[in-house]
Amino acid sequence: MERSNTDSFRHSQYLPFSPTTSSHPSTPLAQKHASLPIPTPTTASSLSGSASTLRYSQSRKTIYDRHLNRSKGAELSKASFAFLFGEMVQYAQKRVSGIQDLEKKLNAHGYSVGQRLLELLVWREGRSGKRETRVLGILQFITNTLWRAIYNKPADALEKSRDHEDEYMISDNDPMVNTYISVPKEMNQLNCAAFQAGIIEAVLDSCMFPARVTAHSVPNETWPGKTVFLIKFEQVVLDREAEFIS
Amino acid sequence: MSATKAARMGEEVWKTRIDKVNAELVTLTYGSIVAQLCKDYEGDYLEVNKQLDKMGYNIGLRLIEDYLAKTAPQRCVNFRETAEMIARVGFKIFLNITPTVANWTSDNKQFSLVFEENPLGDFVELPDDGRAQNELWYSNLLCGVLRGALEMVQMQVDAHFVSDTLRGNETTEMRVSLVRYIDDELPQSED
Amino acid sequence: MSFYFVIIGTKDNPLYEAEFGTWKQGGDGVARFRDEQRHLNQFIAHSSLDLLEELQWAGTGGSMYLKCIERFAGTAGGGSGGVVGVAGGVNGAGAGGVWVSVFLTAGNIKFVLLHDTRADEPIRQFFYDVYELYTKTLMNPFYSVDMEVRSAVFDGRVRAGVKKYL
Repeated sequence: MERSNTDSFRHSQYLPFSPTTSSHPSTPLAQKHASLPIPTPTTASSLSGSASTLRYSQSRKTIYDRHLNRSKGAELSKASFAFLFGEMVQYAQKRVSGIQDLEKKLNAHGYSVGQRLLELLVWREGRSGKRETRVLGILQFITNTLWRAIYNKPADALEKSRDHEDEYMISDNDPMVNTYISVPKEMNQLNCAAFQAGIIEAVLDSCMFPARVTAHSVPNETWPGKTVFLIKFEQVVLDREAEFIS
Repeated sequence: MSATKAARMGEEVWKTRIDKVNAELVTLTYGSIVAQLCKDYEGDYLEVNKQLDKMGYNIGLRLIEDYLAKTAPQRCVNFRETAEMIARVGFKIFLNITPTVANWTSDNKQFSLVFEENPLGDFVELPDDGRAQNELWYSNLLCGVLRGALEMVQMQVDAHFVSDTLRGNETTEMRVSLVRYIDDELPQSED
Repeated sequence: MSFYFVIIGTKDNPLYEAEFGTWKQGGDGVARFRDEQRHLNQFIAHSSLDLLEELQWAGTGGSMYLKCIERFAGTAGGGSGGVVGVAGGVNGAGAGGVWVSVFLTAGNIKFVLLHDTRADEPIRQFFYDVYELYTKTLMNPFYSVDMEVRSAVFDGRVRAGVKKYL
């Protein structure tokens, strides 16, 4: 699933290493290596193109001056998030042709958030940060570290499907945004969940566990807002897991 | 209500009556929205500013209810009091910041909000395309919020940014002016 | 000591590259690569991705820092200038072999450093510094994964890291 955002207002971002690599998603590297011609030398410096025109304030300086932990643990009101989210939905609704399209857009927003949250959270682990190589490892990272960062508590359940080798489910009894007053009418459950699914999907894709994540509302008496996130891994993930076991 | 009382109320409400969420989640969500707008409008930053203002306006219309529900309803005697409430209670209970109220005009109808911090703009660096820093007001949503919220309490105001550290200015400052008090009009949600 | 450093994205595309010389032992921070070596740097960095892909899935999850995953011997003597095979195993011979060390971020962005002398701990610290810089870059909503990093400030901080550790 092609995810990279090509910002139309920036000129081309790719400096191709070789003619084969820039335009399509990763193909098995061995093949690329075999067909590699001698690359033409590029400039040693990373600064291609025109010089920067950005101005920086003396007081605020640059993003590189700000400590990454400065806002760690910082909080805002849930209402702020909900209102913002409501407008995100409103805006998206005007540009889509149906509910599936809407969920895709919300998923994309969540995806963008997830990509960033991932690196931020792992960076914050410092030396003890590790790369997950097993399915269970990455899922636990999501249900624990990621969930706690976003919702202040771990996910309620992680289950493996009995019928489908490639499916897992993460449950949240009470997804954050459902529980409070003044909820805008656009703020129905499935919308929020599509956003959250996007976050999960971004983490999985980025860590090289490509998967589709969909959200399902499964209300029960105790938890009317209960949501299940269904994760369906691509075959390559299963093949890799199988090699680990053998 | 005096400025100190307002500050105390803001703190109190923030501590006891506000459900909280990870600030970085909000920052990143807002970032995603702005980035999406810039893409959709193909770099027409003036249009993006308009959209952000519209979105903010729609939020403001609803946010005021939330605000009134959470704070002891106070009739502000004058615009100066309104300003203090906005800064010390309004921004406090939603964004956990307290911008400074400053630069009043002599007729007491215009003031500035100076933002020491702005969670919406954390981690942000505007595109280096020679235009963004001259055209985009990244946090323009906030202007719309003020406009919408105050309209619901019978004040028509104009709010716009005059400087932003994201643009390389030394401060981030929003100018708010009272246009008039409104009688008996129902605002329409802006599409 | 000279270094070639490249940040490679998820599509094997370079996001940032630079050459550095050491500041230690009276070095002036200017890279001194023989011309052929310079052309080879990209090639070596890119071809080490194959091995990297194998290594990163070995074991039950590990470190983001993969030190000295490969060593490439330089071309012997006057340099053939033509196609150079991956000549692992031919040692030294005064031709300047090159080590490849890699750091993988959580999102699979690869920091590849080519260096002619082993220096595990300083390189690890350098990589962690760059990880911080990369994360700050990514947190900006106007920067997307796999975009080139063009910030002069970023470049300056990376070079400062070289000066500090390497």
